[in-house]
Amino acid sequence: MVEVSNLSLVYGRGERQVQALDAIDLTIPGGSLVSLIGPSGCGKSTLLRVLGDLLEPTSGKVEINGRTPRAVRLERKTGFVFQEPALLEWRNILHNIALPLELRGVGRAEREAKAQDLIRLVGLEGFETAHPRQLSGGMRQRAAIARALSTSPDILLLDEPFGALDQITRDRLNMELARIHEVTGLTVVLVTHSIREAVLLSDRIVVMTPRPGRISRVVDNDLPRPRSLDSRTHPAFEALVRLGNSELEKGYANG
Amino acid sequence: MADLAANTLSKRAFDQAWPPTALLIGLLVVWELACRALDIAPYILPAPSAIWLAVTTNSAALAFHTGITMFEAVTGFVIGSALGALLGTGFAYSRFLERGFLPFIIAANTIPVVAIAPIIIIWFGHGMASKVAVTAFLSFFPLALNMMKGLQSYDRVVMDVFHIAAATPWQRFWKMRLPGALPYVFVGLKLNVTFSVIGAIVAEFVQADRGLGFVVMTAYRSMAMPRLWAAMLISALMGILFFLVIAALERLFVRWHASVDETR
Repeated sequence: MVEVSNLSLVYGRGERQVQALDAIDLTIPGGSLVSLIGPSGCGKSTLLRVLGDLLEPTSGKVEINGRTPRAVRLERKTGFVFQEPALLEWRNILHNIALPLELRGVGRAEREAKAQDLIRLVGLEGFETAHPRQLSGGMRQRAAIARALSTSPDILLLDEPFGALDQITRDRLNMELARIHEVTGLTVVLVTHSIREAVLLSDRIVVMTPRPGRISRVVDNDLPRPRSLDSRTHPAFEALVRLGNSELEKGYANG
Repeated sequence: MADLAANTLSKRAFDQAWPPTALLIGLLVVWELACRALDIAPYILPAPSAIWLAVTTNSAALAFHTGITMFEAVTGFVIGSALGALLGTGFAYSRFLERGFLPFIIAANTIPVVAIAPIIIIWFGHGMASKVAVTAFLSFFPLALNMMKGLQSYDRVVMDVFHIAAATPWQRFWKMRLPGALPYVFVGLKLNVTFSVIGAIVAEFVQADRGLGFVVMTAYRSMAMPRLWAAMLISALMGILFFLVIAALERLFVRWHASVDETR
């Protein structure tokens, strides 16, 4: 369970100051998948980075299962997937996935066994000894997801993880994420530009507006689980997409 | 499968090696013939056969002088590169060091080595130590600058990945910044290794009683041009040999980098 209360974050000083987040209140139930969506500059990535302790808020409070983002990160219970895979080019896929465990001081046999399990989970069997540049963009992002899961995090944060991929790869990885979420029961926060992706995957859609970054509406998504690409033909799907789009347009109109 | 790989590998080596080899043989033949046909004076351009004769008749002495220069160059290279790597690391981690020292380092780098060599020889004496010091002075800057650039060129998102994983600064250095800097490090080492031979020979020019630079100077004074050419060519071969050693190490350590193509 994640609780964000009265969270504000200001970039810069004086004239140049930008209110990236303004008095955000948000509750994310444990085990749910929540999407943050909104136009550029609405603070969705900033909010995600605060949850991951990559940014310090100016004021307000964040608790993840009752602890600060820093405490959770230092216990290696934060999983973060960036838009770029950011794999180490000189390491093969197995050793890239095992990296966070290696940094934590887990022994070789144990961390490689764990990495091997994750390779199976994300469907990269047979590519253990391949190097990142020998893999496609989608496969590299799978490896990045596996790496984020390696320390068995309490929370998985994804910052537009599929933004750079083609539509078919994106669809497949969306389903992988839905499956991983269902298998692991992790709390997942997903930042995305795509309302369709948000509707397809999440339990709850948080629509944000820019200048200053605020939450304009939280939409509960009752689309039945388990989700599949066929969920897109469910009557509720298009209704939710329309609702999301109209909310987003308000944000653009203000911005 | 292994045979096939070995075959294509040797074919590849052959494809790479034969054009320069053929050119070299052609050049030597034309050179030899020209010297004989045009009756060129040996002190202007000695024929390859004359140079070879100078090598074989003085082989023991030349081997001794080559060994001296090689020792000076390698020792100076190692000391200079080690100091350069340390200073470059300091620059990468401290803006104060970078801002404070870098302008002076760059200024010192523009000093011609022939101008500073006599000073270093006064400081370090007439033995090999001063030749090593001149070599170290010369093979210092390229690695310092490339080390700094390499350590600073890490990917910001990879840094975030290490932050999320709560990595220590030590882990960041050894597992991210240093491996990522290796392509730059090898650029610096390749420059250093070339400069190291130059440094050793220039220092011997200024003052020495042994080494290839000494051979060149004495041969020049006595107009023993085939001997001078022999020493010059040996020093060139030494530089090429050092360069190939570094390039082989680069292939070993930086196989992952796009600049080292493993597919062809």
